[in-house]
Amino acid sequence: MNKHALLAMLAACTLLPATAADMNKVLHVAMNAPETGFDPAKVSDLYSSAINENIYDPLVSYDYLARPAKLVANTSTLPSVSVDGKVYTFHIKPGIYFADDAAFKGKKRELTAADYAYSIKRHLDPTVRSPWSFLVDGRFVGADELVKAAGKGALNYDTPVEGIKVVDKYTLQLTLTETNFNFLSILAMPAFGAVAREVIEANRDNTNAHPVGTGPYLLKEWKPGSKIVLEANPGYRKVVFDSVPGNDPVDRAVVKALQGKTLPRVGRVEVAIIEEEQPLWLSFLNRQLDVSGIPQAALQDALVINPKNPLDVKLADKYARQGMQLQRQQMPEVNFHFFNMQDPVVGGDSKDKIALRRAIAMAFPVNETIAAIRRGQAVPMNYIVPAGVAGHNPAFRGAPKYDPAAANALLDRFGYRIGEDGYRIRPDGKPLAVELASGTTALNKQWNEYWQQAFDKLKIHLNFKLGKWNELAKANQQGKLQMWGMAWGADYPDGENFMQLLYSKNAGDSNAADFKNADYDRLFEASLKLPDGPERNKLYDAMNKIVVAQQPWIFGDIRVRSTLAQPYVKGLKLHPLLNTSWRYLDLQK
Amino acid sequence: MLAFIIRRVAQMVPTLFGVMLLLFVLFNWVGGDPSYILAGKNLSPEALANIRHQLGLDLSLPQQFVIFVKQVLTLDFGTSWSTQQPVTSILHSRIGPSLLLTGSILLLGTVLAVVIAALVAYLRGSLTDRLVTLISTCAMSVSGLVYIIAGQYWLAHKAGLFPIMGWSDRIAENLLYYLPLPLLLGVVVGLAPDIRFYRSCFVEEMNHDYVRTARAKGLSEPVIMLKHVLRNAMIPVVTSLMMSLPYLMMGAMLLETFFSIPGMGKEVVMAVDRSDFPVIKAITIYIALATMLFNLLADIVYKLIDPRVELS
Amino acid sequence: MPSSNPLPLTVAPPSHNSLARQGWRRLRRDRIGFGSLCIVALYLLLAMAAWSGLLARHWQDEVAKPFAPPTLFANLGPQHVELNAADIDAANQRRRAAAGSDSSAATGLDASEDPLAADMAAAQQQAAQYHSEEAPKADTLPLGADQRGRDIRQKVLQGTATSLLVGLSGALLALTIGTVLGALSGYFGGLLDDLLMWGYSVFTSVPDMLLLLAFAAVSGRGIGTVVVVMALTSWTGSYRLMRAEFLKHKSREYVRAADAIGASHGRRMFHHILPNVSHLLLVQFSMLTVALIKYEAILSFLGFGVGITQVSLGAMLAEAPAELLQGYWWQMLTVTVVMSVLVTAFSLLTDSLRDALDPKVK
Repeated sequence: MNKHALLAMLAACTLLPATAADMNKVLHVAMNAPETGFDPAKVSDLYSSAINENIYDPLVSYDYLARPAKLVANTSTLPSVSVDGKVYTFHIKPGIYFADDAAFKGKKRELTAADYAYSIKRHLDPTVRSPWSFLVDGRFVGADELVKAAGKGALNYDTPVEGIKVVDKYTLQLTLTETNFNFLSILAMPAFGAVAREVIEANRDNTNAHPVGTGPYLLKEWKPGSKIVLEANPGYRKVVFDSVPGNDPVDRAVVKALQGKTLPRVGRVEVAIIEEEQPLWLSFLNRQLDVSGIPQAALQDALVINPKNPLDVKLADKYARQGMQLQRQQMPEVNFHFFNMQDPVVGGDSKDKIALRRAIAMAFPVNETIAAIRRGQAVPMNYIVPAGVAGHNPAFRGAPKYDPAAANALLDRFGYRIGEDGYRIRPDGKPLAVELASGTTALNKQWNEYWQQAFDKLKIHLNFKLGKWNELAKANQQGKLQMWGMAWGADYPDGENFMQLLYSKNAGDSNAADFKNADYDRLFEASLKLPDGPERNKLYDAMNKIVVAQQPWIFGDIRVRSTLAQPYVKGLKLHPLLNTSWRYLDLQK
Repeated sequence: MLAFIIRRVAQMVPTLFGVMLLLFVLFNWVGGDPSYILAGKNLSPEALANIRHQLGLDLSLPQQFVIFVKQVLTLDFGTSWSTQQPVTSILHSRIGPSLLLTGSILLLGTVLAVVIAALVAYLRGSLTDRLVTLISTCAMSVSGLVYIIAGQYWLAHKAGLFPIMGWSDRIAENLLYYLPLPLLLGVVVGLAPDIRFYRSCFVEEMNHDYVRTARAKGLSEPVIMLKHVLRNAMIPVVTSLMMSLPYLMMGAMLLETFFSIPGMGKEVVMAVDRSDFPVIKAITIYIALATMLFNLLADIVYKLIDPRVELS
Repeated sequence: MPSSNPLPLTVAPPSHNSLARQGWRRLRRDRIGFGSLCIVALYLLLAMAAWSGLLARHWQDEVAKPFAPPTLFANLGPQHVELNAADIDAANQRRRAAAGSDSSAATGLDASEDPLAADMAAAQQQAAQYHSEEAPKADTLPLGADQRGRDIRQKVLQGTATSLLVGLSGALLALTIGTVLGALSGYFGGLLDDLLMWGYSVFTSVPDMLLLLAFAAVSGRGIGTVVVVMALTSWTGSYRLMRAEFLKHKSREYVRAADAIGASHGRRMFHHILPNVSHLLLVQFSMLTVALIKYEAILSFLGFGVGITQVSLGAMLAEAPAELLQGYWWQMLTVTVVMSVLVTAFSLLTDSLRDALDPKVK
């Protein structure tokens, strides 16, 4: 046996796919809204991202069990970061290959640093029109020039960019224009998974339907808006489960099921899109689904809720007896309503305008909606940054006390008199009516009834502007809305992702309230230069106080998600940032 | 006959043009701006302008309409704005399930309705007739929504007789496993009005003079019923059947939603929701064409069944 | 118009009055038809009472606990604990206490930092005038309560009134559009007919669902929109019918006679011909009403129903799927029964009307 043959054999051994996944095991899950596609640079909805997470590999990812969420090596080792927090150097692991595709012309295609450089640059390309471009615009040294040179055309990917540098085949060096210690969590998003340039170029017109990545699954079948089938990637590198359990008993069960085993376990994942609650829930009960969130309408049927402490729940006996598993998790999100701060009626920073906003906030019964609509499965929002995200302050009380009587008295003091028809008028004598934007679902309607109640108590006319999401978003950007509800989920677990929602430079963009406050801006800009810690938290507290005083938002609540799994599902633990846990799940029927 | 067909086909052109005009006006007036959906969390004016440019929304309205005309002439509607899939392939994947669902509902529903209607028309005035008419009237007074909700809850979930929802790629599996419950519910929703309508057609036919003449000639009732009445009464039946097919494909939307069937109705709602104009355009044009064709077909069948009908 | 006769002579059309009288006689003899008429009349009476505020004026009052069951079947409801705001309040307090943060650790906006501090304090003092006592909430109601504790009886009364209003006015509007256009088309023929027929075939070729989604998107939400949307998508049937009738009648003798004495086109169309086809209109009207009452339910389910300060049968039905999953069956049952009786009676009445007014049947 000559030396070359031996080397080839050794190589073959290490490259040999782990083939751990049992192709006979099929995981059935559902999503409650349609996906749009699988090009990570083109989609931003949760549902597409959930699929992409399983097809593509970002440089770094999250540990499955560690809480709070912890970043770990994925296709790259954890990078070395320069002291000033500007230069990130990644070392890609050799021997990782893309799934086979016609674009590779029958050859194995290794993952390299250039692939990540290409994938990041795609978010800057005007012709790609990435919904995530705000995360990379102006972020990398020298990238702005490249974008400017492209104009409205395609980016020239071959032009070297100082900030996105391929040092050698396996080394990627990213240089930021500003200090940022949280940049790594942005790169862990599914949107920054590696795509292969050949594949993108071969399928230029339809990249959404041809996802080829290095991840544990590949797209087998796609019926848009109806069904998605993933199959274990036969060429997936050997990944052995090695997460360390914490104190949670769930952790021990996961470790028991997965310790030392290669991932993924299940050969085929079938994702159905089921938008109505009834078929979703009944499908799960009839075991047509293996894992499912509990829809709002089924919460009381599925859970025994302790009225003394509604977050203390257990699985209803009839389901517990079957051995179903319940898991719960507070979401890294905030739900709030905002005022259009440029509006002549509800906006502005004079005292009477603040009083109007404050009164509305005081009259909205957040606790009642948590009881009746959330079925107790939510906590009130009291800080712009939610728990589980760096920068949260659990001791801060940002929401005003529910007190419609005092709210009325407050309005009286600022000249919002009650007119002849029993409704209040503006201090300048003009009629007062507030318009609230809302969607059209049955759930929207439930919320609107509480808003109607709140405004009735204040004796203020309320009108609803009902519409599709994109119409309302457009109206809001044109400054035509007065109030609207929003939910913001963490893109990455850092407070900056939330505090930027009120930064004046994001007005008309993510700053939906069009809030412009010089003090807030100054504090925000200062906070960008600091890593997470007490110093930054102090700035965050000060910014929260400005928001509480000015009341551009009415703080709503933060949901606690309940997920159920059939008894034979092993390895499930909900993760605050990973969208799915499919690669860790095993079925032992 | 041929001249008639040619004239009718020629008449379709202005109608199609009208449909296009209506659709174009409606969408540009009320359709919503898709760039806000595609922009995701990034709503900066530059990003929105970039998207509008790439979708061709920054062209003038006449220019956009000319493009639309070209699309209709070539029947190539480009790609979906939201998923970027070719519209043709989207429709292709949706038409099968839609046809299977609505076709089987229509077939089973019509056969059942015609048989029952003929029977009660034959027994008109009897207790059975009154009972069937009354039950049909009551049955059609319940909203279709209630049938679907209750059917899925009790028949599929509580009784476990059917799967809750689902759809497969294999026709056999669909027919035997997934289809029965939606089919049953679809038939139940449509059956009662059909029975009432067909019964009135039959009864009207039976009041005609030629039936009396036939009776006077000593033909037996069943012969009269089968040979004359049924044949003539088939005209409105065929018409209503032909006319309802294109509509049914949309109307099965609720069934598609509750039973996760990847059909046209669901696609339209999704497309409208996402302001996905290419998909809306394609579906509307195809449905309009189908409606016109089936109208023509109905007239031709008319003529074949009853040569007395003047084709004007 | 060459007319030398100044006398306002009306040429008697073939006795539509006698037809109406005869029809009424026939209808009264028809037991099912007459019974249906009584039921429909009863519904209309109740609806009028609700419109005028005599009945169910306070349907929005939360008089019972959430999902209070029907009195007679209190045990057939699910045994869920319904949380209220106080429970959530108490739980939040406890959670804070348990987290070890005594109240002094809690931070927030200090009075010194609040531009409204003085007014807030004063408002607390003056709040007393706005305090209101909560009325005790009932545990059960005859027909149960919905999620907000509203009485289903009141709700269904108000809902029926709205649905009837929507159905009747939608049908009237659709019929008016269809009749006017159909009359013009059939009576004048020629280019106008071609044009209107073109519009007709365009409207019938576009799927209803799309028209509906499009119309609903422009015109806000509420009863007005629902009525307009329904009328705009369902006028075509009446148009076709009326066009054919006017085509038939315009060459009849009595119309020619009217022409001879110099009656204007408008007078001939609406004074002479219209009464002669009115029996068809009546049947068409009641058919449309039935269809639209059911149509409204689907509209509501799709999110295009009436606003939240109003309630319709469809709006109540749209709440049913979520309630049924939780085991609250009473609202769905009540609505289904009330709606079925109404629609059945209306349909049977339509049948009887058709028979009674059919001039062919002697």
